[in-house]
Amino acid sequence: MLGALTLVTIRQWRLHKLRLVLTLSGIALGVAVFFAVRTANTTLVSSLATTVEKLAGQATLQVSAGEASFPQEVLRSVRNTPGVKLAEPVVERVVQTALPDAGNILVLGVDTASDLKLYEGELDEAGLEISNPLAFSERPDSIAISRPFSERYGLKEGDRVPIHTQRGRQDFTVRGFFKTTGASVVFGGNLVLMDIYAAQAAFDRVDRLDRIDIMTDPARSVDAVEQDLRSRLPAGLEVARPDRRGQDLEKAVSALRLGLFMMSLLTLTVGVFIIFNSLSVSVNQRWKEIGVLRAIGVEASRVQQMFLFEAALMGLVGSAVGVGVGYALAGGATRIMGSVLDSMYGLVSTPERPAFHWDYAITAFVIGVSASLLAGWLPARAASRLDPVMALHNIEVQRREAVLGWSRFLLGLLLILVGLACTFFSPRGVGLMVHFTYSIMVQFGLVLLLPKLVVWGSRFLRPAMGRLFGAEGLIAVDAAVRMPRRTSATVGALMLGLSFVFSVGAFIHSHKAALNRMLDRCVNADLMIATSDQLRSRTYHFSAEQEQRVTSLPGVKHSDGLRLTGVAQGADDLIVIARNMDVWFSNSPGLLDEGDERKAHQLAMRGEGFVISQNQSVRSGVGLGDQLRLETPAGPLVRPVVGILEFYYVEKGTVFMDRELYKKFWGDNSVDLILLNLETGVDRSAFKAEINRAMAGEQRAFIYTSEEYKQWTARLTDQFFTLTYLEMLIASFVAAMGLINMLVISVSERQRELGILRALGGLRSQVRKIVLLEAASISLVGFATGVLAGLFNAYFLIHTTARIIAGFNVRFQFPLTVVLVTLPVVLLVALAAAWWTAQRALRLPVVEAIGYE
Amino acid sequence: MTEPDNVVQLQRVSKAYADGQIFYALNQIDVAVTRGERVAIMGPSGSGKSTMLNLICGLDVPTSGSVWVDGTELSQLSDDQRTRLRREKIGMIFQSFNLLPTLSALENVSLPLRLRDRSRREAEKRALELLERVGLHRQATHRPDEMSGGECQRVAIARALIFDPPLLLADEPTGNLDSASGKGILQLLDELHRELNSTILLVTHDEYTAATCERMLILRDGRVAEDRLRATGGNDPSPEDA
Repeated sequence: MLGALTLVTIRQWRLHKLRLVLTLSGIALGVAVFFAVRTANTTLVSSLATTVEKLAGQATLQVSAGEASFPQEVLRSVRNTPGVKLAEPVVERVVQTALPDAGNILVLGVDTASDLKLYEGELDEAGLEISNPLAFSERPDSIAISRPFSERYGLKEGDRVPIHTQRGRQDFTVRGFFKTTGASVVFGGNLVLMDIYAAQAAFDRVDRLDRIDIMTDPARSVDAVEQDLRSRLPAGLEVARPDRRGQDLEKAVSALRLGLFMMSLLTLTVGVFIIFNSLSVSVNQRWKEIGVLRAIGVEASRVQQMFLFEAALMGLVGSAVGVGVGYALAGGATRIMGSVLDSMYGLVSTPERPAFHWDYAITAFVIGVSASLLAGWLPARAASRLDPVMALHNIEVQRREAVLGWSRFLLGLLLILVGLACTFFSPRGVGLMVHFTYSIMVQFGLVLLLPKLVVWGSRFLRPAMGRLFGAEGLIAVDAAVRMPRRTSATVGALMLGLSFVFSVGAFIHSHKAALNRMLDRCVNADLMIATSDQLRSRTYHFSAEQEQRVTSLPGVKHSDGLRLTGVAQGADDLIVIARNMDVWFSNSPGLLDEGDERKAHQLAMRGEGFVISQNQSVRSGVGLGDQLRLETPAGPLVRPVVGILEFYYVEKGTVFMDRELYKKFWGDNSVDLILLNLETGVDRSAFKAEINRAMAGEQRAFIYTSEEYKQWTARLTDQFFTLTYLEMLIASFVAAMGLINMLVISVSERQRELGILRALGGLRSQVRKIVLLEAASISLVGFATGVLAGLFNAYFLIHTTARIIAGFNVRFQFPLTVVLVTLPVVLLVALAAAWWTAQRALRLPVVEAIGYE
Repeated sequence: MTEPDNVVQLQRVSKAYADGQIFYALNQIDVAVTRGERVAIMGPSGSGKSTMLNLICGLDVPTSGSVWVDGTELSQLSDDQRTRLRREKIGMIFQSFNLLPTLSALENVSLPLRLRDRSRREAEKRALELLERVGLHRQATHRPDEMSGGECQRVAIARALIFDPPLLLADEPTGNLDSASGKGILQLLDELHRELNSTILLVTHDEYTAATCERMLILRDGRVAEDRLRATGGNDPSPEDA
């Protein structure tokens, strides 16, 4: 029997090709985004891991001091540790070249005098082609470059490569090449190898190292050697397997990955709405066919099975298409995510073509089919319950839409309240996924409220529509109200898409406002000089001499050199900002959110206390007056917390200390940012030129006035949120797709109704106007519910996600601009879709439309 | 040209469909219906009855020939003009009622007036009068699925009368009804005819229904096979006859 019913289904599909295509596109879109995001996420993480792996060569352990350097004598302790077979010192820098369009290159300083056994297979003799090894090791300007790099810029042996170093622009001479596998693949081949001593001298690392790569003796377990090293080395040095760095990088991108994952779920949900609407329409259109089937002996359960089978079949085809499209999208998504991470976090990833993960494909496929079955369940049940006698009688007995009454409304309300209560009262320790479930509860509750909201929204719109558009306006609003299920499905798809757009908009807006507040309080200087066009460079800093050169210029009233560095702190990392605490407190009254400002000022400037960011307090549980212990290259540093302030530089916690204290414990006197306050009457623009003269020949110094600095920060913030904007864009696309899909299906369903209107004397223009106004009122209601859902979602994102991931306690800001920009876009999309469908429906002869003989 | 007293006139009207070969649903027919006349159109399935009705109400256009309604030649009109003429001069009653399922009886009846930009209050006042006339004012707020077939057809008749049209077209108005409801509808049409002196064209298979009309047109293979007048001028259906 199922075979015969399949025939019926296929004939229906042939008859309603457009609806079929739209439904399939709904499922395909959901599955495609889900699969693409997952594949791109994995590719990105694997690419980061590959980078770390290739740079580490055959190292089984690495010693580092977070982002800071450490004294070279550590190398001796490492080499003397039992079980350490080989230990190679490394200086690692990402620098700019003066080659046209070359961008950044990664410079690795290694001990070329050693046999580089650790990098066998990566940089071995066969791979490293040096025609004059003596010249290479003796001349400090020697570099070896990767074959792809040499080919890209036509560089041959003896050619000069200009590189910006700590000593300004320096020309290096190409004296070697490496093979095109292994490390040279990293960073797209933009890799330069030089001798460790030359690198130390060029990059202000004399007697200091960034990393030690270790190969352990196979006779001893790596864990045992790791333990030994930890006990021998100062606590501020981190001993970890190379893959730990990959994990750290992975952790750094976790927030973005979570956002993308949530967006893929949203797309799937919109897909479910589309399938639900399409099948409901199909049942409504086929009531007579169902009656005939029942009359010729098809059981109610079989009718239900037929519709479920139809849903499953659509799910199968749509999911298969979705997986294919998703794989194609994954390539683009990976490239975009990779470039954003490179610029945002300074993470260097090896470009990889996304691998096709069968397990992901199968998961996406199963989810797509399950979502289709879930969406098809209610329409299938409705079909099986249709009264065959009435259906056969050819009377207008389409099932009255189930009364979407108060019980459903109350259940929705209950879900929202419980979801919000759980979000509000649950500790953040229960984890993000649990909180995410609460957010889903709230969203699902809103979906249940929709029919009533649609009715209320339409009633609210009715007078205005009547006044503005006359009878057509009223008929349009009434039509929307009288089919609450159909209208709710359209509104629901729009609501979910827009809620994501608005909540992400609120998230960005709130964070930007918080950043601006922070800047107003924390950066009070006339001029700022930075090492990078990002907030800071992870690998390039100003030397003490450069700082001195700038700050001693006549006209400088006082200055503050900031050093920002990442520090490993157990399982968590934090940022240390070392600066002149006296200048900071003096220039920024009202700096602290918690703590006695006068007392904190005194203690912090003497190096007797830390000021910490509010998110560090949340993350570590360390409050005002508590002792905070930091592991430094010179041993543990313990100080009380004397002040807490809101600070939103990164999602990691931040500890502020006096720079003298930092210098003492980290042995590092470089700075990332120099803040200058000028004497009264000194012209800032003229002084910028002075600084440029003083820094001439150096790697570019980025000089900003406080206004420019704020604009620059705003640009950086935008860059930080690039992926989030991308998420918004995709969510908008999904919302638009959902809206178009639903409207096209709904109007197609109503061809008969529109035909009757015309048979009764409705002009084409009137019918078109009714369809357009109905689409406009549905989209307005969808927009309003989208704002409401967006507010709930924003609460989850801002108060929960931001708190759990970063410990931020950001104040909510309503994203008015996003809302105002979205409104006309939504209306335009709705009107365009409705116009097209109305034209299509109106082309049908009235006789055909009303099914008249 | 048409006679001034003719509400409907078909002159050498043909309607052909091409589906591989040409098929004539109507073939060179000439029919004139005078004001106040009640005409039953009969014939076997496929004889062209409904096609004729579609052409008269302007839902379809003839392949050749001309159709005149109340002095206006339809082929000269645009689609919108035909729609306006249908709205103002023709009341249509369908076998399957063609009520909008989501609207109440009152809203269904008032809909044509609202499409002419009459205020809701005015439209509903007139609709209520008509519902009262067809005996359904108590069911004004009911939707089609809350009413019987006979009640739905009464609503459709009330809707057809909303503009006091000079011409009523009814396609198998009792075809979907039980005999009691059917008789009730015929009785109603009879009363309305007497009150309003409407011209009624009624397509039917049923001899009893046809007997309510003074004139009977019998179509066969797209041609008028018989056109006869009943001497009595219609019967007077009563429930007892059922």
